[in-house]
Amino acid sequence: MEYNYQENYTSGDDSMTISLRTFRRGIHPPANKFTKDAPLEDFPVPETLYVSLSQHIGAPARPIVAPGDRVEEGQLIGEADGFVSSNVFSPVSGIVKGVIKLPTAIGTEADHIEIENDFKYSKRTLPVLHDPTKDEILQRIKDAGIVGMGGAGFPAHIKYAPKDKVDTLIINGAECEPYITCDYRLLVEHAQTVVDGIRLIMKTLDVDKAYIGIESNKSFAIKTLAEIVPEGISVMRLKTKYPQGAEKQLIYAITHRTVPTGGLPSQIGCVVSNVHTAYAVARAVYSGEPLYKRAMTVSGGGVRKRGNYWVRTGTSYQFIYDICRQDAEEEWTRKVISGGPMMGFAQANLLPACAKGTSCLLFLTKKEFNTDESTQCINCGKCILNCPMSLVPRDIERAVIKNDFETTYKIGVVNCIECGACSYSCPAKRPLVQAMRLAKKEIKARGIK
Amino acid sequence: MAQYIVSSSPHISTSVTTKRMMLDVIIALIPATLASVLIYGFYPLFIMVLSVGTAVLSEWLFNLATKRTQSIGDLSAIVTGMILALNLPAVVPFYVPIVGSAFAIVIVKMLFGGIGKNFANPAITARIFLMLCWTGVMTTFVKPIDLSEGSNMFAYFVNIVKIDLPDAITSATPLAFVKDSISANTNPAQSLNALDMFLGRIGGSAGEVSALAVIIGGIYLLVRRVIDWRIPALYLASTVVFTAIFFADSGYVGEYIWTYLLGGGLMFGAFFMATDYATSPKSCLAVVIYGVGLGFLTVIFRKFGTMNEGVSFSVLLMNALTPLLDKIVPKVFGAPKKNIAKLISAKHKRKKSVALKGGFDD
Repeated sequence: MEYNYQENYTSGDDSMTISLRTFRRGIHPPANKFTKDAPLEDFPVPETLYVSLSQHIGAPARPIVAPGDRVEEGQLIGEADGFVSSNVFSPVSGIVKGVIKLPTAIGTEADHIEIENDFKYSKRTLPVLHDPTKDEILQRIKDAGIVGMGGAGFPAHIKYAPKDKVDTLIINGAECEPYITCDYRLLVEHAQTVVDGIRLIMKTLDVDKAYIGIESNKSFAIKTLAEIVPEGISVMRLKTKYPQGAEKQLIYAITHRTVPTGGLPSQIGCVVSNVHTAYAVARAVYSGEPLYKRAMTVSGGGVRKRGNYWVRTGTSYQFIYDICRQDAEEEWTRKVISGGPMMGFAQANLLPACAKGTSCLLFLTKKEFNTDESTQCINCGKCILNCPMSLVPRDIERAVIKNDFETTYKIGVVNCIECGACSYSCPAKRPLVQAMRLAKKEIKARGIK
Repeated sequence: MAQYIVSSSPHISTSVTTKRMMLDVIIALIPATLASVLIYGFYPLFIMVLSVGTAVLSEWLFNLATKRTQSIGDLSAIVTGMILALNLPAVVPFYVPIVGSAFAIVIVKMLFGGIGKNFANPAITARIFLMLCWTGVMTTFVKPIDLSEGSNMFAYFVNIVKIDLPDAITSATPLAFVKDSISANTNPAQSLNALDMFLGRIGGSAGEVSALAVIIGGIYLLVRRVIDWRIPALYLASTVVFTAIFFADSGYVGEYIWTYLLGGGLMFGAFFMATDYATSPKSCLAVVIYGVGLGFLTVIFRKFGTMNEGVSFSVLLMNALTPLLDKIVPKVFGAPKKNIAKLISAKHKRKKSVALKGGFDD
C-alpha cells in the first residue's frame, strides 16, 4: 500500500506555509480558552492526599505499603498488577494512613492510599539515564508508571511496544476540547522537554518520523516548536475543529491513513501519544522522576482563580475547589466536570482525587452548560452532517428508543467514538451520543455480533 | 455540600434550537411577504394573517384534543402558515387559506406525528389540495396594483368572499405564456420582461413572484446555515440543464432557461420547500438524486403537463421518495470501500442459491 508521506513537512518552517490539515465533518464549539495565557504554577499541596490505585486502564495497582509506613515523594506505593497495569507513586513525603474506597472521576469506586503530608518533600528518584537504549527507555516508561495522559490512561509501555511494524509517531497537541489549555502551556513553556520526550519515544518505536499536530488557534505553540524541532519531527498546523484530537481523526488529518473499523492505529503504522505523555517520558528518563504530578487546567465561572497548575495526583477535587473558589459563591457552581465539556465526566460530589489522566477540572455556572430539555427530532440532519465517523446518529437513536439493538449494530454504532458532536449540534437537544453509548453497552452485554 | 447536576457528556450544546431555526425561516420569509404587499396591496397580508392564525390554532386544538404537550411554541406552525399564504394567488376568498392551513397542519403534519414526522411538505400538499378543490380560484391571478391608475392598496379587498374580477385586472402568469409558446413554437419570452419577472411586477402567487425577495431570504437561510445549500443549488442547476436538454431543438433555449428560472414557484420552492427538513434526504448521494430529480420532474411537468404546477408536484413526488433515499447512508469512516460490482454479484449468487434450494434459508 502506498502512503502519502508528505516529504515537504520535514522542516518546521515549511509546515507554516502549507494549508491546514483536517478530517471530514466535525463541529466548532466556542473555544473558551480563558486560561490560555496563565503560566503553569505549582498548586498548593493538601495535608491529606488520596492516591488512586486505578489511575489507568487495566488491573488496579497492588498496594505495597502498610498503614503507618513513612513514604517519600516519588516512592513506589502501588505496584503494577499484571501486564496491563501501571505503577503508582507517592506524590508527597509523609505517613500512610491506610487504604480506603473512594469514588473516582468516572463514577466507579476504587482503592485509594491515604497519605498524610509531612510537608518535607524529601524526594526519591530513579537513576538518571543519559544515553539509554531502546529497551532501557521502555523499561523506564514502565517503571515510572507512565500512562496515556490525554484522558484514557492506557499504560504507555504497552502502546510503545506494538505488535505491528510502526513507521510514524503522532504527538497529539490538538487540545480540541473547549476550556482546556494545559497541553498548550506545556508546549509553550516546556517545548524542549516535550521534544526530548518525542525523540525518546521515537527511539523505542524505532521510527524516524514524528509529527506534532497542533490546532491553528495555538499559533504561538506552533511557532515555538517549529523553531526547535530537529530533523525528523514536523509540526503540523491543524484546522481548529472538534474532534481534531480524536485519535482516528488526527491520524487521518496528518497522514491521510484511515484506521480500519475495529482496528488499532498500529495496524496502519501509527502510534498516537499526548504531548504530556512525551513530557512525562523525558522527565522519567532524563530526571528520573516518576509520574505523580501533572499539568492541569482549572476553569469555569464557578471559580475565581482559574489557571494552569502542576497538580500532584491524589489532590482531592474539594481541595482544588476550596483553593480556586476564593470569593465566588458556592451556589454559582452547578456542574463540576472532570475533563472537557464535550467528553468529560460530571461529578456528583468533590470526593474524587486527581489522577494521571485528569487534564482539566471545570466548575460551571448555570449559563455555561446546556440545560435545554430535549424536544421532538425535526429531522434536520445536523447530526449526520457533523458526525466525524460518518454515522447516522438519528437512526441509531430511533432504534435505541425501540430497544432494537440489532439494528444499531448493523448501522455501525460500534464505530462511535463518543465525541458528542451529534448531541452538541442537535437543535432539538436529543440525547444522541448518550443513546449511542447505551447501544454500545447493550451490544457488549448481549453479545450481539 | 452543594448538589451538582450530573449528566452524560457532552455538557455544552449549540445555541441553535428548533425555535431559533424556525425563527430564522420566518425572518427569511419577510422579504417575500413585503414584496407581496408592495405588489398586490394589503390583501395578501390579510390572507397570511388568516393562514398563520388558522395554522397555530389548529395545532393548538389538535394537541388539546389528543392530550399531547403543546408544540406551538416551536414556531413551526407559523412557518407553515406563512409559506402556504405565500403560495396562494394574490387574491383568493377568505376561506381558502383557512381550509388550506387546517389541512396542512392537521392532516399532513399532526396526524403523522407533528414536526419532523410529516410525510410531505405541509404547505405544498395543502396547495395541491386547494388546487384540486378550487381550481378556478387557484388559477386566477391578478395584475400588480398600479397606484398611478387610481387603485389603492386595499383594491383587492372586494374579493373577500367571492372572486369577481373584471378581465382588465386578471393576468396570465409568465409560465402560461411560456406554455402557449411551447405548442405554438414561438419565442417564450416575446411578451415577458426579465426585470419585471425578477422584481415581481407580474401575475402569480403572492410570495413567489419576486425572485429578488425570495433570493434575499434564501441567502439569509444559507448564511445562517439553516438550510443545506446543496438542495437549492442542485435543483436550480438541474432545472437549467434539463431545460436545455428538453428544449434543445426549439431554437429558444436561452429564453426558456431564464423564463423557467424566474417564472412560477421555482425559486421559492428551491429555497423554502424542497429544503424542508422532514422531507429531504441527508446523505450526499441521496441529496444529489433528490436535487436532480426535482429539476428533472419540474421540467417534465412544465413542458408536458396541462397544469402549471411543476414545482409543487415534483416536490411532492420527491418528498414521497425521501424515506427510500434516506436508506442511502454515508460510508462509515474506516469501513472498507464498497465494491459495487462485488455487491451485485454477491446478491445475484444469493438469489441463485435460494432459487436452487427452493427455500428461504436466508
